[in-house]
Order: sequence, then structure tokens, then C-alpha cells
Amino acid sequence: MTTGFTQQTVEAIASGEPAWLKSQRLAAWQTFEKLPLPSRRDVEWQRFDIRALNLDKVALAPNRQSPITEKLTALPVDLAKKGIIFCDMATALAKHGDLVKQYLGKSIAPDEPQKFFALHSAFWNTGAFLYVPRNVKAALPLEITYEFSGQSAAGSPRTLIVVEPGAEATLVQKFVGGPPVGSNGTPSVHASGTEVFVKEGGHLHYISMQNFAPNVFDFTLKRAHVDRDAEIDWVIGMFGSSFMRYDIQCAMEGQGGTSFMYGVGVGSGKQQFGQFTRQHHKTGNTISDLMFKNVYRDSAVGNYAGVIKVEKNANGTNAYQANRNLVLSDKVKCDTRPILEIESNQLRCTHGATVGRLDENQLFYLRSRGLTLEQSRQVLIEAFLEPVLARIQVESVRKEFGSLIHSKVVR
Amino acid sequence: MSATTEPFVHGAYKEGFHDDLKTLRTSRKGASHEVIDYMCDVKGEPDWMRQFRHRSLDIFLTKELPPWLPGLRDEIAYDDITYYASPVEKSANRWEDVPEEIRRTYDKLGIAKEEQKMLGGLGAQIDSEMAYHNIQESLSKKGVVFLSCDEGLKQYPDIFKEHFAKSIPPEDNKFAALNSAFWSGGSFVYIPKGVKCDVPLSVYFRINAEQFGQFERTLIICEDDSFCHYVEGCSAPIYTTNSLHSAVVEIFVKERARCRYTTIQNWSTDVYNLVTKRAFVYKKGVMEWVDGNLGSGRTVKYPSCYMVGEGAHGEILSLASADKNMWQDAGGKLVFYAPNCTGRINSKSISGHGGRSSYRGLVQVSPEATNCRVQVNCDALILDEQSRSDTYPVMEIDGDLATVEHEASVSNVSDEQLFYLMSRGIRKEDAVSMIVNGFIEPIVKELPMEFAVEINRLINLQMEGSVG
Repeated sequence: MTTGFTQQTVEAIASGEPAWLKSQRLAAWQTFEKLPLPSRRDVEWQRFDIRALNLDKVALAPNRQSPITEKLTALPVDLAKKGIIFCDMATALAKHGDLVKQYLGKSIAPDEPQKFFALHSAFWNTGAFLYVPRNVKAALPLEITYEFSGQSAAGSPRTLIVVEPGAEATLVQKFVGGPPVGSNGTPSVHASGTEVFVKEGGHLHYISMQNFAPNVFDFTLKRAHVDRDAEIDWVIGMFGSSFMRYDIQCAMEGQGGTSFMYGVGVGSGKQQFGQFTRQHHKTGNTISDLMFKNVYRDSAVGNYAGVIKVEKNANGTNAYQANRNLVLSDKVKCDTRPILEIESNQLRCTHGATVGRLDENQLFYLRSRGLTLEQSRQVLIEAFLEPVLARIQVESVRKEFGSLIHSKVVR
Repeated sequence: MSATTEPFVHGAYKEGFHDDLKTLRTSRKGASHEVIDYMCDVKGEPDWMRQFRHRSLDIFLTKELPPWLPGLRDEIAYDDITYYASPVEKSANRWEDVPEEIRRTYDKLGIAKEEQKMLGGLGAQIDSEMAYHNIQESLSKKGVVFLSCDEGLKQYPDIFKEHFAKSIPPEDNKFAALNSAFWSGGSFVYIPKGVKCDVPLSVYFRINAEQFGQFERTLIICEDDSFCHYVEGCSAPIYTTNSLHSAVVEIFVKERARCRYTTIQNWSTDVYNLVTKRAFVYKKGVMEWVDGNLGSGRTVKYPSCYMVGEGAHGEILSLASADKNMWQDAGGKLVFYAPNCTGRINSKSISGHGGRSSYRGLVQVSPEATNCRVQVNCDALILDEQSRSDTYPVMEIDGDLATVEHEASVSNVSDEQLFYLMSRGIRKEDAVSMIVNGFIEPIVKELPMEFAVEINRLINLQMEGSVG
């Protein structure tokens, strides 16, 4: 096992891969080399402390031996017969190379000027592929679990999702594991990317849950391209790792497209959460609706920055963005920067952001009904997050979110 | 609404004339230490001020613009600008003593007439110096001081030195440093303990020279339990070259005092308007900024309230109208350092004829500022397809004892509203202007009557031809 994010490692990972993929990786590596590590002078990073991160001391396997193992639910035979493809990325490249080539790297480009996007594009070493053919509806939810193991290791999964016209699917992605609890030393690095293409009239239900052990630095980019009359609804759960930067983006590319983006985060201890969302309305008559709700306690740091960008002539855009934060301790640092950039005039665009604490009157009411202070707090916190959980259509996953939240909220 | 058919007519900017005034004194062009020495000699300033100016210029020359501020990097030709020019010998306190040609300029702007009607005091600055400064006898008897800032330094050196550059040091930002180096004119206002100055004090700023930099400096001190309302207006001729207006306004609102500062900014589009305004609000004090930006090619201005005493209240009402060739980069800042404070920002912006308006705001709550409540509302109206509107709020909250809310919306004049009004027999243009006037009403109603009328006139002018 060699150490370090070097060109040799890129070439080692790429050996045996098609030439087009290797050139993508090398281009990304050059971007990675060019960019400095973010510092506190960058507006987006100024509230974070990432000094513990040491890329030189992170182990990187020079082949496909990733510290991450992916587990995919077995595809039911009838769905496979309909042409749905759901497999790990190595299999996908081997069996469906042309299809993968058509989409992979088309959204997350190798030259995107962000250090950790480039790291991911150059060094991703595991992944999965979901392809839903035209007019096929997958009734059952499909699930990918990325299990991270090992200490001071780098894991980087790439997920590619293509929903063809008129098709529909539900995908659940779970990111779990990490270094053994209590292990110190250099934090592990998780840099993941999810590319989503929802074609004309297609519909994707997407649920993601991250609950890494501490001592993981997580850099994640999820980007969806939403075509004409297509729809995506996201629920993003953010619970684990010591540092996370989540970039959640949708590009509205065809009239009648819709994106519902829901996020829920619970930060405790010294966790640092960065949530960067982007609703990019490239075409008119599109809808995007975003709500990110977070609870921060102890000495957690929360930083939300969301952009609604409406291009010229994207008339008929309807965009909404809400960021609500509940702060439970006086040591929490919580920032929110909801940004609007509007170049069109036929639209409705609103946003709201709040930072607040539990309502004294509501606490008092619950206590007067016989609940203890602690119980009352739990009830209010869980009620605060409920509107996001209610968007999860897979019941087992919703329950999992609920119990995870409960365990993080209980003192 | 369909695209603009008629371009905005510059002739509608009725303040765009210029007069050939004889300049009595003028410095060399360019921002140099030499110019500072010249100014200090002319003004006969104490040594500490001379040193302060030199230090500030060094800061200006080395300081970078903040990374979040777009543009302005190579736009302004600092070397071609005249930093000091004065067509007047000294500030008069009788209108009759103001040189006749300057009086004529102000008569055209209708300034002097206002004084008798509604004001407690009036100042008039032309280029670098104050031509006129006067206050009602009843107010001066109560101890209210209303002078040009230069006179303030001469007559009240101790109070002046105690407050000057204490809330906005030259290190604060590049343009504050520029102002600190070349400041000239502006007002010095001192309201003694318990004195309520219930008629507004007003100053009108006029740039007449070409390629000129106006750097007025205003210092307002409201002692405990006092009240004052300060109103400023401004305009400039239309040239083909650019001028620079970079003011610094420092306000100290002491315990239980209240200060309201109203601005009607109507520079011509030749003027870069880069202003730093800040108020320190002490225990239970109240600061209100009413900030109307209707002119200037590029405005960068975020009036701010620093709540430094328990129970202080800060309020910012911001109105921006971006017409053709304008970028209104306005907003406000509320910074909390003390417990139980409250704050509110209410911003309304209109962009039309390809104009761009940006709201930029900061709400910062430090850990010791417990129990603070902040509410921010921004609404934007976009009138046509060429125009643009941005909202860039930042909220940084340390600790759990604050409640911060931010709401913003961007929309157009809806067809339903237009249709309703037009079905009642109202012409389309009038309907749009009714809707726009209704939109800005919450802010305009806070203005003194004469200014409200003026704002409505200016907005209606900008609205002309916006309906195709």
C-alpha cells in the first residue's frame, strides 16, 4: 500500500480501465495538483477547522482495493428482465462500458475548480451504477450501502444514476462505517460523487444517509440534471463524521422539471457540518423547492450556504429555499448564507433562513402536561425535523432516520 | 411584462446640469502624500490629523478590496481624480454670504427653500468644502452643535478627537482608508444630554467638478437621552468621465438616545458611491438608518449598527432602485455584542431597464450577546428581462441564545395585478407605477413628507418607458 495522492497512484488505479476513463482521471489529477488546500481566507471555509486533515498521511490503495465495500440489494429477476442495470462500477465498466462512457464524468467534470471534487474524480476507487430504461418503473426501492473500514484511509465511491424517459426508480444510498471508535491519528478521507441524470418525464426518488464514525473527513458532491417534465426528490440525512462538506446541486435543464430537495442534519460534539446547495434554473417553467433543517448541540459548527441561480430568460421559474437551524448550546457556531442570483423577471423566488432555539412556551406547555424537561426537548426537536422525515417514502428507511435522530438527540 | 421599448432618458435626471464655478483652490490629481500636506496646510490642521491622514493613505495604497466584493478592481482610475477642490473660501452661516454663483446652483436644486419650511439646520457642501452651515437659534441655545466637520475639529477638538475614527478606523476597509486620508467637509453634530432635536438637520452634497473625489466625513454624537434626525441628499452633474464619492459616517448613540439618519442618494450615474456608515449603539439606544439609493452608477454601501450596550435596537430600512447603467449594491449590517438587543432590516429593491440591485447583509451575533432577536426581510421587484437582482445575506451566530430570521423574495409585477387595475380603466403605465409605489410604501412612509414626495417623483421618472 502506497501513501499519497500521486500521479503514480492515479495510473495504478486506472490500469485495466478504458483509456477514456484514464484520461479523465489524469485531467482531474492535474486540477487537483493545481489547486491549493482551502484556507480560512476562503469565504466558504472560514468557519471550519480542517487542520487535522493531512492528505500526505492518508493511505491510498494503488488498485481497486478500496477501504470501502459496497453492498447492493439484489436486483429482482423481473426488474433485470426489464433491462434495469444495478451493479458495482467495475462490473458496469466491464459489461456496459459504452453506456457508462456516455454519462460518467459528464456532470462531475475533471476540471471543476474545487480541490476535493478533483480528488474524487482522480482517485475514486469504488462505485455503483443504476440504469433504468425507458418507461420502466422499479416498484421496489434499490439500496446501496458503502461500508467504510480502516484507519487513516481514503475511500472514494462514485455513483452514476441514469433514469431514461418515462422511467421511475427509488434509490437509497447509505454511507456508514469508518475508523474504529476511539481511534485517533490522521483522519480518514471520504470523497464521494453522485451523478444523476433524470431524462424527459423520468422520476427519481433519492435518499441518502451518512452516518460515519468520528475521525472521518467527508467531502461529498451530488449533482442532478433534470430534463423536461422530469422530477427528482431528494432526502439527504447528515449525521456522522467529524467534518463534512456536502454539495447538493440540481441543474434544471428542461421545461416542466421539478426538484424537491430536503435535508436533515444533527451535529453534536465537535462535529463540523458544511452544507452547500445550488438550485440552478437554466430553463424556465421549472420548480425547485429546498428545505434543510438542522439541529446543533454541544460545540458543533454548522454552515449552510445555498444559491438559487436563475439564468436570463428562465421565465416561469418557481424557486424556494429554506434553511432552519435549531441551536441547543451556547458553544454552537451556526451560519447561514441563503443567496439569490436572479437574471429573469417572470418568476417567483423566495427564501428564508432562521437560527433559533427551543421555544420556552412550548417547553413549558409540555412540562405542564407531565413530561420531563428532557422529554419535552426531545419531543420538540423531533417535531422540528419531522417535516423532512415525512418526505421519506420508504418506511424502513424513515424509521432508521428516526431512530438515528433519536439516539443523537437523547443526552 | 414585455421588454423595455424606450431607453431611459437621461434628460429626466434634472440635477444633471453643471455650473462653471471658479475653483479657488485645487490640489494636484492623484492620491499622494503631497496632496495631503497641501490639504493640511490649507485647512491649518493639527499635527495628529496630518499624521492620521498620512497613515491612512499608506493603508489605502496597500489594502486589498474584500474578496466578496465583485468588480471595482481596475475600474477606478485613482490617478486621474482630483482629491481636493474648493470653489468657496469659507463656510457661511447666512445664506446671503454664500457666493452668488453657488447660491444659484443650490437655488436650481431648490435647497434653500426647504430650510425655512421644515429644517432645524441646513448645510450645503459643494465639492470639497461646506459652502453653508446654519442652525436655528432655538437649537443652538440648547447646546446643539451643527457644524462642518472641519469646523468641529477646530471648535470642539476634545469631543472630536474622542470619537473620530473610533467606530470606523482607516484599517476597516480600502474606501474608509481613502476617506480618512482625504476627508473634507461633512457634518459634525453634537446633541447634548437630554436634548430632543425634533426638527431634522439636513445637509446637501453636491459634486460640481469633473473627475473629482468627494470625501465628506460626518460625525454625530447623541448624548444620553437625546434625539436627532439627520437628513442628507446629494446630486452631481452628468459628465462623460467618472467621479468618486467615498464618505465615512460615524454615529455614537449613547444610553437611551435615539438617532435617525436618512439618506436620499441621487448621484448621477457617473459617480461611484462607496460609503462606510456605522453607528455604535449603547445601552437602550435606538439607531435607525433610512437609506434610499436612487442614483449613482455603482453604489457600495451597507449602513451598520453595532449593538454595544444592553437592550440596544438597530433598524435599517433600505430602498434601492437600479435603473439603466446602475448597480445598487446596498443592504445593511447588524452586529450584536451585548445581551437583549434587537434589530431589524427591511430592504426593498427595484431593478429596471437593465439595472442590477444586490442586497448584501450581515447579521453577526457574538457569544455574549444573549437573548437577541433579529429579523431581516428583503423584497425585490424585477421589471424587465434585462435587469437582475441578487440577495447575499450572511448570518453568523455563535451561541444558542439568539433568534435570527431572514426572509427574501424576488418577483415581477404580476399580470393579475396589472390586469385588475387596467380593467378598472387605469393606463398600464400608471398601473405599474401604482404597484411599485405600493411596494416601496413601507419605507417611504418613514420619510419626512418633502422627501417622500421627492422619492416618489424619482421612482416615477425611472419608471417612465418601462412598460412596452
